[in-house]
Amino acid sequence: MSLFFISLLIIASGGVLSPFFKHNFTTMKFIAVSTMIVGSIGGIIDSGSKLMSQSATINSCDYTASLTYLKSFTLSFQLDSLSAFFLVIIFAISLMASFYSFHYMDKPERSLGTAVNYLFFSLLVASMCLVVTASNMIAFMISWEMMSLSSFFLVIYNYKSKENRRAGYLYFIFSHVGAMFILSAFGVLYALTGDFDLSHSFASAVSPISNALANLSENQKVLIFILAFIGFGSKAGIFPFHVWLPHAHPAASSHISAVMSGVMIKTGIYGIIRIYSLLNFSSPVMGANQLIIGNSQFIGHIVIVAGVISGILGVVYALGQNDMKRLLAYSSMENIGIILIALGIGMIGVSSGNTAMVIIGFSGGFLHILNHSIFKSLLFMGAGVVLHKTGSRSIDALGGLIKNMRITGTTFLIGSLAISGLPPFNGFVSEFFIYMGGFKGVGMTAITVNDASVAGFAVNQFAMSRLTFGTTAFGIVSLAVIGGLALACFTKVVGVVFQGEPRTRAAEGVNEKGVAMLVPMVVFALLCLAIGVFPELPVLMSMNAISSLNISNIGTESGGASVIEITTKMIGMAGTISGAALLFISMILSVLLLRNFAYKNKPVTTSGTWGCGFTKPTVKMQYTGTSYAASIVEFFRPFAPIHEDHSPVKGRMAGRSHYQSHVNDIAELYMDRVTLKPVLFLFDKLHWIQHGDIHLYIGYILLAIVVAMFFV
Amino acid sequence: MIESLLLWVIGIITAPFFSAVILKVKAFFGGKKGPPIFINYYTLMKLLQKGSVYSTSTTFIFKLGPVISLGAALTALMFLPIFGHRPIFSFEGDIIFVLYLLGLGRFFTIAAAMDTASPFEGMGAAREAFFPIICEATMFMILILFYKLTGHLSLVNYFEGSHPVYLWDMAGTSMVFIVIALFIVLLTENSRVPVDDPATHLELTMIHEVMVLDHSGPDLAFIELGSFTKLFFYSTMISSLILPFQREGIFSPYSLLLGFLAIIVVYGCVGIMESIVARYKMDKVQKFILTSFALAFFATVITMEFIK
Repeated sequence: MSLFFISLLIIASGGVLSPFFKHNFTTMKFIAVSTMIVGSIGGIIDSGSKLMSQSATINSCDYTASLTYLKSFTLSFQLDSLSAFFLVIIFAISLMASFYSFHYMDKPERSLGTAVNYLFFSLLVASMCLVVTASNMIAFMISWEMMSLSSFFLVIYNYKSKENRRAGYLYFIFSHVGAMFILSAFGVLYALTGDFDLSHSFASAVSPISNALANLSENQKVLIFILAFIGFGSKAGIFPFHVWLPHAHPAASSHISAVMSGVMIKTGIYGIIRIYSLLNFSSPVMGANQLIIGNSQFIGHIVIVAGVISGILGVVYALGQNDMKRLLAYSSMENIGIILIALGIGMIGVSSGNTAMVIIGFSGGFLHILNHSIFKSLLFMGAGVVLHKTGSRSIDALGGLIKNMRITGTTFLIGSLAISGLPPFNGFVSEFFIYMGGFKGVGMTAITVNDASVAGFAVNQFAMSRLTFGTTAFGIVSLAVIGGLALACFTKVVGVVFQGEPRTRAAEGVNEKGVAMLVPMVVFALLCLAIGVFPELPVLMSMNAISSLNISNIGTESGGASVIEITTKMIGMAGTISGAALLFISMILSVLLLRNFAYKNKPVTTSGTWGCGFTKPTVKMQYTGTSYAASIVEFFRPFAPIHEDHSPVKGRMAGRSHYQSHVNDIAELYMDRVTLKPVLFLFDKLHWIQHGDIHLYIGYILLAIVVAMFFV
Repeated sequence: MIESLLLWVIGIITAPFFSAVILKVKAFFGGKKGPPIFINYYTLMKLLQKGSVYSTSTTFIFKLGPVISLGAALTALMFLPIFGHRPIFSFEGDIIFVLYLLGLGRFFTIAAAMDTASPFEGMGAAREAFFPIICEATMFMILILFYKLTGHLSLVNYFEGSHPVYLWDMAGTSMVFIVIALFIVLLTENSRVPVDDPATHLELTMIHEVMVLDHSGPDLAFIELGSFTKLFFYSTMISSLILPFQREGIFSPYSLLLGFLAIIVVYGCVGIMESIVARYKMDKVQKFILTSFALAFFATVITMEFIK
């Protein structure tokens, strides 16, 4: 038995044990947290060493484990570098989140609830690990359902609030509709290949691509991919399947939100990549002798467009939020969009045989998966501390928190800088690579073929290169816009919540006690800076991760740059980023020195803020987050309708009045009108089938058997 | 390398002088004598000799703001070829780094403004956060065109070539669009009329100036120097586009003079713009900036038809 399964067992056993210690609150927390930490460290050692032991060009698959139950179905698990990459992230974030929870879960009166929370937390972590290692459909679906259900119970932790129950219900429905799509994708795949195995996508010499898979037609592959994309997309939070996300994240406790947003939604991305790799899209369009442009060529374009929509709308909705955790949830949607843009660039590279796009696009996306899990967990933990100490998630009710919460405020600032993609932090590194990959697509020219017999091919190729130019240019410009909007969004959070003066009593006189909550945030903040300045190791990690996909051997045949060339180039790029970041940091330090020199022996006094001539300012006059974001949200009005509610002014003397506004999410708005209403209408029409008469029900059964006899 | 460093220092030292050109042009249009041409140096010296008053609401971010925005501008200039000469540093993709660095400067300018709890500064910050978003889209659209033309993502490859009219040769007249688009970006990023009026008397209508209301002394001097440098950065970029430099003998007095003249032309255009156009209403500004994106977009479309 390998270290991996031992780690999972330790994690799960801690969770199972914790309800038995409910009478001793601290012991219970200690057991749950320490087992989680021990298990996660074991897992990191195991998967990290597997990931790093790999060179970028040699694929190897590590241990496999399989278990056959009643000779009828097999559960099998396998680990390749792609799984190992995700495992490192899962274990690392879970470790920090459980450490954080030690002081965050501090209600002894809810001892049993806390214990149950830990139980499902450990199950969630274990099942996520199983999801990314499952190598056949059955094992995958079972782990996937375990993951969905345990996170469902975590979402309804505060089940007494009606809002949270609704959030849980919404999440439950979305994850199961999603699972239905995944299942249908698997069903189609099984029907066509007669094989439950997913392990062909795992890099190993033992299972070369099976004939059944290779014989799938272009359109069949596209159908399977689209079904899986929708299914996994509902977990990842791709527009318009993201509706559950902004409800579920605020409902869960903050360390769970960190895990869900930082890691769990990434399993959706993992699924998309795994299916993509399994379907082996690279084979049919390799080389210039392919006459027909297959439909699979368009997959990359679809993914980029989906990413752009999720990215831009996600950040616009984030800007419009007043609830800190909802804002962060929408921002997760934005980052999933960025990751999809990166993956789409890689997929276009695959279908057009451009090695540089493949490597840079995919590894940029993987790097962003890693980076996002770090800074998003950091931000959720920061929001958790604020919620814990002030009891409020409302941005416009807070203010000036950084004065009393120096560590929380500073780390949150660093997280915000990183998520806005600014140098010298980690978000910049991954966005830089995605840009580089995108520009490779912009610069791509059609393969010139002089042979008259393939003139049609040349025309097609030309049209395809135009399309690639258009899509990648669209992706690049959107990425720039997303970056700008993210900057606006997070200056709003930092500026309104942590800076200025407290807007309500709740925000006054807070402290930041609870060292277990602060340590993970400091660690994450340091990681953000470290990856931003020295990105070589994470870049290597993400390049190792893609080495196990079926795509990385592309290009060598079609005469493009070889994988090794591109890989060295990427390491080189990481080096230059590192140099540029160091240059900037040294520049800042010298300007700081200059500043110290300029302030030597100078009178420095304090006074109130200049009120532009007004002498009696109050804290209520501060600019609020809502007005800060208003003009930007207004710009995107057709996609983000602002709902305002205020009573009209009546008579000469204005009476009591109220005003409220919120930004509507069009997916949520139209989910009701476009999906739910027609479905309800349809079922209403079918109501007569359910009449309650037992005899007729027996008749149905008889009819079903007779009909079945004709078909079977 | 020494020459590049020298040019970088010259750029920073002369940046305040060029900004005074704008004031002189405005004074000329107003029929006034205007302030002395070295006014900005006097201001900087005066500010550097003073102490500071800090608002009780502010934190360390307020003090960090000027440092980071100046540092970002100075670092950005290190990557730009001045007068067509090789810059101090360059690498593939440096333009993305530079643009994001200026974004970092903006983040801290906004954060410093939000630190004061002043409603006016918050209002300015909201606008400062909004308008550059469109500029970024424009900049990346221009980059796409430049990448398509040169196959590189580095300022060196655009503005330092052996061939004099490098980009114009390939893109032809659609380059005119790019120049205009870049000029609009310059006006927006540096808070000039018609996007923002640095000389207005009412705090409510300002964008950039209102955000630095509470800064004083050396801090304010840093901010001023940072914005002079940033304006110099964009102007040099445009002047490299409108004037194909002589490549041999960078330090010949002829080419230096030509370079200075081209930059003065750009600053003069900013001055003329400020004299003949009024500031736009806030809701019109976005459309004005969007024009730059449209120009860059169509320039790309036109050029794409010529290079196949």
